[in-house]
Order: sequence, then structure tokens, then C-alpha cells
Amino acid sequence: MGGIIVQGFLISGLYALVAVGFTMIFSVGRVLNLAYGVYIMIGGYVYYVLAQLLELPKIPSFFCAALAGVAFGLMTYLGLVRRLRDNPIAVEISTLILAVVMQAVVIIIFSPAPKAIWPMIPGVIRLFGVPVTWTIFLAMIISWVILGALLLFVQKTALGRAIRAVSMDTKGALVAGIDAERINLLTWGLSGALGAIAGVFFASYTQLDPTMWVFPLIIAVAVVIVGGIGSIIGSLIAAHIVGFLETITTTVIAPELRGVFTMLLIIVILVIMPKGLLGKEET
Amino acid sequence: MSWWLFFAVVMGLIPLVSSSHTLRIFIFANFLAIFAMSWDVLSGYTGYISFGHPFLIGIAGYTTAILTHHLAIPLYLSIPLAVLATMAAGTLFFFPALRIKGTYFALVTLAFMEVTYHLMQVVKPEITGGTRGITGLPLLATGTVLNYYFSLTAMFLIAIGLWWLTRSDVGLVLSAIRMDEGAVKSAGLNTSKFKLFAFTLSAFVAGIGGALYTHYLGSISPRGMFDINFLFTILVAALIGGEHTILGPILGAYFLTFLLEYLRPYVPGAWRFLFYGLIALFIYNYAPKGIYQIVQTVGNFIDRRILGKKRYGDQIT
Repeated sequence: MGGIIVQGFLISGLYALVAVGFTMIFSVGRVLNLAYGVYIMIGGYVYYVLAQLLELPKIPSFFCAALAGVAFGLMTYLGLVRRLRDNPIAVEISTLILAVVMQAVVIIIFSPAPKAIWPMIPGVIRLFGVPVTWTIFLAMIISWVILGALLLFVQKTALGRAIRAVSMDTKGALVAGIDAERINLLTWGLSGALGAIAGVFFASYTQLDPTMWVFPLIIAVAVVIVGGIGSIIGSLIAAHIVGFLETITTTVIAPELRGVFTMLLIIVILVIMPKGLLGKEET
Repeated sequence: MSWWLFFAVVMGLIPLVSSSHTLRIFIFANFLAIFAMSWDVLSGYTGYISFGHPFLIGIAGYTTAILTHHLAIPLYLSIPLAVLATMAAGTLFFFPALRIKGTYFALVTLAFMEVTYHLMQVVKPEITGGTRGITGLPLLATGTVLNYYFSLTAMFLIAIGLWWLTRSDVGLVLSAIRMDEGAVKSAGLNTSKFKLFAFTLSAFVAGIGGALYTHYLGSISPRGMFDINFLFTILVAALIGGEHTILGPILGAYFLTFLLEYLRPYVPGAWRFLFYGLIALFIYNYAPKGIYQIVQTVGNFIDRRILGKKRYGDQIT
């Protein structure tokens, strides 16, 4: 029982981290960026190359991975999304194609075989008597820190309020003098960074794999649907619901059924509460 | 209408001039065309992008595989049952998403496909064959030529059926939904009903394609069916060819399949997807109507300059 609670919190923390970058773009741009999972993949692989293959120190490698995420996020926006902004269908499809292309690139560079990342901090810590790896504990802590910081940023700073304004009503924000373009760039870059950071931890938790961009995408989707668009707190809560659901499923029922109940949850929420728990109004 | 006949005849004559190897490529193209058309019926027409077609195709394939392999049910029963199963599964799982929003729909269908992929490998492997799948299924027909005609007929029937449909009022409504669902609703039409129709039709075609394809191959595996790459291939075929048309996906499927064959000796595995993807991105952005548009332009050109047909707006000299 204790194991489930501890594991649940840890996984939920990781999932929240994974989802928050996605939520940002979705809330702000109302745009479905299916290439989001790729930021996670890039984060993982860049960290792998720097910290493991080149054996550079871990913290700089970590930051480089985040930077790679920023770069890729910006490229996605500038290269694809900005031109196709009026056509959300085109964005969905193009980002998916981009994701598959990146998957191919990763296969070409790294081979299709999965790789294991050495843990960021080796060893195990006992939490309430339950052994957990340092890495995932670190992931959870960092996730809470980032989410807390993000929440403060969005609520308290002018820039944060600008982001919220754009997410609620772009035209209105423009009228109020906000440079929506700058906000978009900021959001996409931030989303990329968050994705990459989540990616390093996600890769440590599972493994590096050219197809690893799909599962986090689904998690992010589930969290957004359950938590509601535009709400960071909603994402946090939803991440915990999904995280605990999965932990209970894999521990108590059967490990192979991971993801199934998440899927069912998505359906149920869509039917009963399409706005999610704390979702804001659709404009 | 005459164009259809022309193509039918030309395609029918192909086995006389092609090797067995080439015929197999055509067969694959035909099936891909069927899948691409099924995708286009839903996503191209209503604008609800479905990333879950491999899910539907896979359900069809697995149903017929399990029925024939484990229960020794004959093909003429198992295939219709598989199609029904596909339509049922699709409605059950996708319909809640269809009611909500187009964006959510895409996400949810993607999720389904992915989860089913993992599920199929681990749940009840004694029935589903686990990771390796099931082999040794009864074949539709022996001999490449027969299979070719089979696939060709299926493709043509489906194409003609869908083509006729899109020219009808229902097709008009579906196209309208894609452009502006709100407007259609305010015109008093029940968009949910139409979406359900498009959806069921799409599942129906996908089911037929999936069942037939499985019995052409004689085997099935999770890898081949519930795969992002498979999804990608179908999408790209429909997109390159020109979504929102019926002919488009067929053209796209052929183009893609033959491009694949052409590139095969030069370009190893993963690079192909890289190419497809880049080509797809390029075409999708710069020629959104795809090959269909190109063909249409050429066709118009021929009509006007060579055959001397006048268009309505032309000056009468």
C-alpha cells in the first residue's frame, strides 16, 4: 500500500512535468503540437550523447538538453506552425509528420535499439520505507519546483499575465498592447525546454527508444483532457489522477494493462465532462 | 464516368504486361488505396483527423484471423464478421470523441492505436499470437494474378461507391461540416448524425480493407497493424494524393508505393520515412490538394486545348 502511494506520487510528478509543456502550447495557441513528444525524445537523446557517450558533466549536459528543446520548439513554431496557423488541421498533420520524420532521423543516427541511460544520481533512497531510485525522486522534486515556479510566473508576473491573456483571447490581448508574437515565441521555446527536461527524466525512468515520443504524448493528452485546457493546477491534479490510476493498474491488476485505464478515463471524461476538471471556456 | 471505364480497362490489362513482382507492388498499392480512401472519407471530408485507422484495420485483421485460425470459420463468414466488429469497435471507442471536438478526436484516436498496439502483444497471447502474431491464415486466392484482380475489384468498387456518395447530398453536408460545422448546425442539420455516418462508412471500408489484406498476406502481427509507420503511410498517401477527394488517395497510394519500390535499392529502411515525411510536408504545404490537383490541372488542360471543350465562363467567339 505504501509502495503504491509513494510510486504514485513519483510517477504523477513525472507525468505532470511531461504534460505541462504540452498544456502550455495547447492553452496559449489552441494548437495541437503532436511533435511535442519529440522534444522529450530529443531531451533524452541529447543528454545521453553528452553525459554518457561523451562523458561530460551531468548538470551542463542537462542544460544543453533543455537548450536543444528550446531550439526545437522554436523551430517547430517558426518553421511549421506559424505559417499554418489558420488551419489547425494542417498543424495537427504537419506536426505528426514532423514527429515521424524525427523518429526516422533518430533511428538513422542511433539505431532502432533501445538504450538505457545511466541514472543521474545512482542509488536508492528509502521513502517511508519504500525503496525508490534517486532519479525518479529527483524528477518529482524538480517537477514540483518547476510547476510551482510556472504557476507563480503565470499568476504574478506581467509576462505571465500576458501569456494568460493571449491564451484567453488573442485579439483582446493584441488590443491591450501585448505583442502576441513574442509571447508565442516564448511559449514555444519554454514548451520545448520543459519537454526536453521531462525527457531526460522520462528516459531515465524507462529507456531511450526512437518511438518514445508517443507514450508521453498520450499522457500529456490525457492530462490535458482530464485537467482541462488552460489550467496548470488542473494539469497537476489530472497528472496525479492518471499517475495513480496507472500505478494501481500496473501494481495491483496487471503490468501489461498499463495505459488501458488511462484510455478509458479519457473516454469517460470526454463523455461526461468534456471541459475537464478545471478547464476554461473554449473561445 | 468514361474515365472510370478507361482506367478499369487499363488496370485490368496490367497483369498481361507485368511480372509477378510488379503485380505484388500493384496489389499493395491497391490495398493502401483502400485504406487511404477510408481515411479520407472521415478525415478528408469531415475534417476530423483520425490517427486511429490502423486501430480499425487491425481490429478487422485480428478478428478475421482469430475466427479463421482458431475457430475454423470459413472466409465468407469471417470477413463480414470482421467488418462488423470493426464498425462496432470503432463506434464504441471513437464516437464519444467525435461528439466533442475535432482536436480531441485526433488525440484520442492516436492514443487508442498506441495502447492497442501494446495490448495486443500481451493480452491473451494464446489467442492473439502475442508479439509475433498469427501466421498460416487461409488465403483469399492463390497466385499473384488472382490476388491482383481481387484487390483491384475491391478498390474499384469502393472507389466508385465513395465517389457516388460524395456527389450526393450527404457528401455535400460532410464537406460543409469540414468547412464550418457551426454553420451546418445552424442550418438545422444534426451534424452528429452525419459524422456518425461518415465514421461508420470509414470504419466499414477500413474493415473490408483490413480483412482482405490480412487474408492476402496470410498472417498478422501487432507490428504491422498498429504501427505509427503504418498510420503514417496511410496518411501520407491520402495527403499527397489530395485529401477531400476520392481519386486523390488512390493516386497517392500508387505514387507512394512506387516511390518506395524505386527508392528501395538506394535508400535503406529509416531513410525512407525521412523522405516520405519531407516530401509529404513539402507537398502538404505548397500543394495542399496534392497530386489530385496536379492531375486535375493537366486534365483541364487536355480538355480545353486538345479536346476543345469550353468552360462556362469562356467568351463565345
